[in-house]
Amino acid sequence: MSGWRAGPAQWAMVAPVQALLVGVIFLPSLYVFWLSLNKSSFGVDPTFVGLANYAEILSDPYFWRAFRNTVVVVLVVVHLELLLALGAALLFAGGVPARRTMIAIMLAPYAISEVAAVVMWRFMMDPQVGMVSRALAALGLPTLEWAVEPAHGLLLAGLLSVWLHLPFTFLILYSARLALPGDLYEAARIDGASAWQQCLRITLPLLVPAMLVAMLFRYVFAFRLFSEIWLITQGGPARQTEVMAVYLYLEAFRYNEFGLAAATGWLMVVASLLLAIPYLRQMYKRMFAPEGQA
Amino acid sequence: MTRPLHVRLLRHLALAMLVAWSAFPIALVVASSFKPARDIFVHPPRWLFWPTLENYAGLATRWPDFFHHLANSAIVAAGATLLAVGASALAAYAYSRWRSRALTASAFSMIFIRLIPPIVITLPLFPAVNELALNDTHLVLVLLYATFFVSLGTLVLRAFVDQIPRELDEAAMVDGASPFGVFRRVILPLCAQGMVAVGVFVLVYAWNEFLFAFIFTTTRAKTAPLTLSEMTGAIDGVEWGVLFAATTLQLAPIVAIVVAAQRYLIAGLTAGATKG
Repeated sequence: MSGWRAGPAQWAMVAPVQALLVGVIFLPSLYVFWLSLNKSSFGVDPTFVGLANYAEILSDPYFWRAFRNTVVVVLVVVHLELLLALGAALLFAGGVPARRTMIAIMLAPYAISEVAAVVMWRFMMDPQVGMVSRALAALGLPTLEWAVEPAHGLLLAGLLSVWLHLPFTFLILYSARLALPGDLYEAARIDGASAWQQCLRITLPLLVPAMLVAMLFRYVFAFRLFSEIWLITQGGPARQTEVMAVYLYLEAFRYNEFGLAAATGWLMVVASLLLAIPYLRQMYKRMFAPEGQA
Repeated sequence: MTRPLHVRLLRHLALAMLVAWSAFPIALVVASSFKPARDIFVHPPRWLFWPTLENYAGLATRWPDFFHHLANSAIVAAGATLLAVGASALAAYAYSRWRSRALTASAFSMIFIRLIPPIVITLPLFPAVNELALNDTHLVLVLLYATFFVSLGTLVLRAFVDQIPRELDEAAMVDGASPFGVFRRVILPLCAQGMVAVGVFVLVYAWNEFLFAFIFTTTRAKTAPLTLSEMTGAIDGVEWGVLFAATTLQLAPIVAIVVAAQRYLIAGLTAGATKG
């Protein structure tokens, strides 16, 4: 697609967006990099220490605990979510009664804040009065002791995260499924393919690109996980359920170790960009494609 | 094509489970907010009960500031939405119609910057915001929330502007309109759908956001999710009813908006996900 040559008027048009991004995100994150090379705390002038902060956090067992927790939660949450979203998308594409209402219901958790979701899930999962806990107990199953058992705290935060973000992933996969050409299925039916074969040979392979996009997005965003953990366990007991963002927050705002927090932050930036490389490459190719091919 | 009976039964079962998964936690909390205290913990839960507003009355006497914080949320969300939608629409128009390598590079950097996790920038912004005396103001939240959505907003709106035939721009220009005139009279009215979609994205984010509000506000600009989290921390098994009333007030307006704007959201997400 060709375009007119950009001039000063066009730069004026993109200026507000660019000013916000550069002023609020880009320059501060460069400053974080500089901060990560310094020893710094409240009321003390920063002193340059090179990579000492990185060395210190990389030898901190709590950092590695937070890192492991983050990786496990992200992997479980994103893949469980994709699986559920795929199932729901295929179910909805096959036709459901009262479609608009059903989609509105599927969409509702998207509108719920993390805090409100924590209220709901804590109430349902309360070891004493929660009805899910009571139902589990009545069935003779163990209940989630999320306040005392670190793995249970992480599991509850993960469940909550899936609940909050399923609508997004579901909508991406559902609209991708609806965009598949109908004549493919027509042809498959004429050739005598069963519904199961159509799903396996047509739907799933053609949905792979949309699933990869959804997965990448969710990796990058799930990696930022903060509120769910903070509101359920505050990283406790005994710092057992911290994730990267909680670790960073505590270093910065509880222990006032800005250098260490900055080093953690910069590692998070690098990790996010690495996760997003396939997406960035695809975008780069598309945007810088020669005229007429985009 | 009619499906065999057992397949139909399984599909209905799966649908029922999905609906329960999505709606049950919300319905439970909303229903419980209208229950008298003694009914809240009855097990199994009672879905037929005499509704009462006593929890809402309790909220007004115990946490009178909560209503003030709801108003703060509304102000911040409205400000961020206007700023993000306006800035994104303008940039989307430029990116859709004009080309140069530098312009493309700036569009790419937009996507790149968006990948930086929000918590990272709180470190330098916290002292900077204090220095500028912006701590605990609506403005700081408006700027933060708008910034984290202008990238997606620009991508989504660009996909919408791309659909508007360029001949319309050219016709307006022949009539003597400047690029900004074309933007106002041709582009804005024709990508209204996309602007609603982006507006709802920002609105949901700004209305519900916790981390930035937690770090940058204390009293005057405090938003409703922050008060909810304080109430959650303060309860000792007795205050649940009041907490449910507050939760219901916080979620009802935004759920209503999302459900009402469902069609636009799906269109916006499709545009953003497939073209962005």
